Amino acid sequence: MRKSPHPATSPTRRTVLKSTAAAAAGATLVPNPVSAASSVSAAAPTTAGDASEAVEITLSVNGHKHALTVEPRVTLLDALRERLALTGTKKGCDRGECGACTVLVDGERIKSCLTLAVMREGSAITTVEGLADGDRLHPVQEAFIRRDAFQCGGCTPGQIMSAVACIREGHTGSEEEIRQWMSGNICRCACYQNIVAAVADAAREGRG
Amino acid sequence: MTSLVGRPVARVDGRAKVTGAARYPADNPVPGALHGFLVTSEVTKGEVTDIDTSAALAHPGVVAVLTHRDMPRLTVPPFPYLKGFIPMQDTVIHHAGQPVAIVVAHTVEQAHGAATLVAVRYRAERPRAVIDDAAESPYLPPPFRDRRNEFQRGDAAAAWAQAEICVEARCSSATRHHNPIEPHATTAQWDGDRLTLHETAQGVNLTKGVIAAVFALQTENVRVVAPYLGGGFGAKGPVWSHTIINAAAARILRRPVRLVLSRAQMYTMAGHRSEFRQHIRLGATRAGKLTALLTTTTAQLSNTDESIFNTCESARFLYDCPNLHIRQEGVRLDVATSSYMRSPETTAHFGLETALDELSWALDMDPLELRRRNHTEFNQETGQRFGSKHLLQCYDLASRAFGWSQRKRRPGATKDGDEYVGWGMATEMHTFAAMPSTASVTVGLDGKAVLRVATQDIGTGTYTIVSQIVADAMGVPLDAVQAHIGDTALPVAGVSAASATIASVCGSVDRAARAARDAVVRLAVADDRSPLFGVPSDEVETRHGHLIHTRNHERRDSYRAVVSRSGKPVEATGSVPNLPGLSYGVVFAEVRVHARLGSVRVTRVVTAHDIGRVMNRRTARGQVIGGVTWGIGHALMEHTVYDRNTGRVVNPNLSTYLVPVCADAPPALEALFVDEPDPGSTALGARGFGETPITGVPAAIGNAIYHATGRRVRDLPITQDKLL
Repeated sequence: MRKSPHPATSPTRRTVLKSTAAAAAGATLVPNPVSAASSVSAAAPTTAGDASEAVEITLSVNGHKHALTVEPRVTLLDALRERLALTGTKKGCDRGECGACTVLVDGERIKSCLTLAVMREGSAITTVEGLADGDRLHPVQEAFIRRDAFQCGGCTPGQIMSAVACIREGHTGSEEEIRQWMSGNICRCACYQNIVAAVADAAREGRG
Repeated sequence: MTSLVGRPVARVDGRAKVTGAARYPADNPVPGALHGFLVTSEVTKGEVTDIDTSAALAHPGVVAVLTHRDMPRLTVPPFPYLKGFIPMQDTVIHHAGQPVAIVVAHTVEQAHGAATLVAVRYRAERPRAVIDDAAESPYLPPPFRDRRNEFQRGDAAAAWAQAEICVEARCSSATRHHNPIEPHATTAQWDGDRLTLHETAQGVNLTKGVIAAVFALQTENVRVVAPYLGGGFGAKGPVWSHTIINAAAARILRRPVRLVLSRAQMYTMAGHRSEFRQHIRLGATRAGKLTALLTTTTAQLSNTDESIFNTCESARFLYDCPNLHIRQEGVRLDVATSSYMRSPETTAHFGLETALDELSWALDMDPLELRRRNHTEFNQETGQRFGSKHLLQCYDLASRAFGWSQRKRRPGATKDGDEYVGWGMATEMHTFAAMPSTASVTVGLDGKAVLRVATQDIGTGTYTIVSQIVADAMGVPLDAVQAHIGDTALPVAGVSAASATIASVCGSVDRAARAARDAVVRLAVADDRSPLFGVPSDEVETRHGHLIHTRNHERRDSYRAVVSRSGKPVEATGSVPNLPGLSYGVVFAEVRVHARLGSVRVTRVVTAHDIGRVMNRRTARGQVIGGVTWGIGHALMEHTVYDRNTGRVVNPNLSTYLVPVCADAPPALEALFVDEPDPGSTALGARGFGETPITGVPAAIGNAIYHATGRRVRDLPITQDKLL
C-alpha cells in the first residue's frame, strides 16, 4: 500500500481496525437498552464490513493520493463523501439522474454515484474542492458568483464541474448549445438562465 | 452613508457554495455516527403481520434493526408535524412507503444492503389512492389551524344566476413532489436528555418544538442545526417521521445516527402537493365587471390528516367581486400526508386565471383590460384600503416590456415554421407569512460585527440580505459582517416558509445593528482617549467602519479602536413582532406549440412584481427566474403517478418525474420590479416575495397555449398528449 500524503483524512487499514475495536469495546460496556434482544446485532460490530470482502485501493483526488479500504460496492461518491470527507460533492438522487455528484475523472465529467470507487484506481479525480488555485477561484467558480448562478447551492458543485467539462468539450458555442449540454444537471431552484450566463462568461474568458 | 440594501450585492455565501466548503446537514462530521436506513412498507393499506430481522442482523456491520417492537411510545406532536400518526408505533399501514423498520450500521452501504434483507409480511387490503377512486364524496374538513375551508360574501349563487355573462370551468392538477436536490437528512446526537439534530430544516425552532414534544423533553434541551439547506420548497418546513424514528434509534443505541432519505423515499415520506380538482364559475356584466365568483376545490387527503394546503386566497383577495362562495373540500385516500409546496395557492389560482381568460374571450375583451376592470384597492373581506398595492403599475411595466399591445385577438393567428406562437398572461398574488424574531449583533475587539439570528437560508439569499442590513445600519463594509443563522442556539426566529424570511427578520436585524452602533458611539464619546470624547452622540455618523463627527470630519474613531480600548465586545439585540401581507405581480408568456407533435416551449417571459422595497435585486431576480421555471414544471411536466391497483407511486425518481432542466427554462426572461417601499412593512419596507412569481405562470402558459392553438386545456400538467 502506498503511503498517503494526507494521513489525517485517509484512514489506513490499521486505523480502521483500531476504531473497530473501540466501537466493539464501547458496545460491550453499554447495557443493551433494547427489550427485544433480537433487534441488536449479536455479532461484534465491525466498521468496514467483512474484512475479507474489503479492497485496498488508492484514489488520486485533487492531486493527492488517498489509500483506503472499501467494499467493492462503495460508489466513488460515497468514497469521496464518507471516507475522504470531501463533502463538496453532493448526493442528490444516487442514480445518475440529477448530476449533483458530477466530478471530473481524467478530465471527463461523470456522475460519481454511478461508478464504483474500485473502478477509479489510477484515475485522476477532480472534485469541486480541487478547482481553486489556493485562494484564487477557478474562472467558472468566479463566474457562478458574478452571475448569481446558484441559490441553495445543493446542485452547484455538480453544475460547476459539469461546466468546466462543458467548456473543455467545446460545447459552449452558443447559449442554446450551453442550455442543451448543461441539461444533465438539475437545479431545482431553477437558476438556469444565470447558469447559462456564467458558463458563457467563463467560456469567453477561457478563449481569452 | 453607504447603502447596500437595495443593491444587487453578490451573495456573501457564494464562495462557500462554489468551493464545496459550505457544510449542509448531511456533510457535517459527527464523530462516531452510525448510518441509518429505513425499510418502508410495500403495501398501501393493511398491517404488518411479521418482521424477520435475522438476515439483516447477520449482515456485516449492522448494529441494530429496530421495528415497532423496539420503539418507545412517543407522543404525536402538534403542527408542524402534519402526519397525524408516528410510524412504527404499531402495525397499521396507512400508506405505501411508510417506515416499518430502521437498519443501523457502520457504513451507508451496510445499512442500505441490510435493509433489503429485512423480511416483512403484510396483510394487505385494496387501496384507493386517487380522487377518481374515492369511496366517498368530497367533504368540507374542519378548519386547519383555525383557518376555515368555506368563505362567503354576498349571494354568489343568485348573482351567478342573474349574471349577464357566465363562465364555468372544471380544472385539475396532478400530485406533485417538491424534489429539493438535497434529500432530507437528519443526524441525532444524544447526551443524556439533551438532543442535537443536524437537520435539513426550513425552521430550526419549529423542528425543535416538535421534537421536544415527541420525546417529552424540555425544549431548551433540544438543539437543531442547519446552517445551509440544499433546497426546501416546503418539503423541509414540517417535521417528518424519519427524523423522529432516527432520533429514537440514536437514543436506544446511545450512539449518534445519521439518516438520509433516498430519492424514492422522498415521494412517500416528506409531503407533496395534493391531487386537486376545481370547479369554478364566474359571473360578470357585459362590461367585464365580476359579479359572482364560485369555486369548489377537492384535494386528495390522507386517512390520518385532513389538512388543506392548496387554498383559494386569490379568489378571496385579488379582485373586486361582491358575491363569493369558496368551498375547499377533500377526499380521504390511502396516500401519504400532503403538505405545503412552493406557492400552495398556485393550484387554485390556475383555475381563477384560466376562467378569467375564458371570460375575456367570451366578452371579446383583452384579458389584461379585464383584470384592470376588476382591480381593487380594498381588502375584500375587511373593506380596508390596502396600504400599498402597485399592481396596476406592474401591469403597465410588464405589458409594455412584453409588447402586449401587439397581441393578435384571434387564436391560432401566428405560425412560425412548424410552431404556433401564442401569448398569455395572468396576475400573480401570494399571501406571505411573518413571524416575530429577535436578532443580536456583537461588535468584537477587531471591530467586526457578528449577527446572530435563528433564521435560515434556503437559497433565497438570507445570509446576504441580513449582512447588507447590518453593514448599512452600522456603517461598516460588508466584509466586516459575519452572519450566523440556522441554529436554535441563536436568538429566536421563525420558519423559512410561506415567503416569511425577509418579512420576519429584516426589522429585528436592523434594530440590533442600530443598537450595537449606538452603544459603540456612546462608548466612544464617553472615552477620554477617543478623538470623539465629549461629542454629543447624535453628532456622530458611522461610515466604512469609522465613527465621524458630523461637523468636523477630522475628529474620527473606528469601531475597532473603540471596542478594543473598552476591552470587551459590545452586544445589542433587537426584536420585532412582524406582520403578514400580500405581494403582487403579473406574468406575460410566449409559447410555441409544435403543430404536429404538440410539444410546448416557453420562449419568452416578462414579469413585474410589487414586493415593497427590493432588498437585493440580484436575489429577488433569482426568485423570479426560479419561480417562472417552477411554473413551467407545474404547467407542462411535473406529475406523480399512482398505480391505482397498488396505491404506490410508480415514478419516484428524477428520470420519470420530470422537473425542468436547463433547456426548458425560457431563454428570454425579464424580471421587473416596482420597488416602492411598503409603509406598513415591519421589514424596512420589504414584503415576503419568494413564492409570488410562480402563482400566475401555469395559467399564463395555458392561456398562451389557447391563444396559439385554440385548444383550452384545464388539466395540469399540459403534456404533449393533451395537445395532439
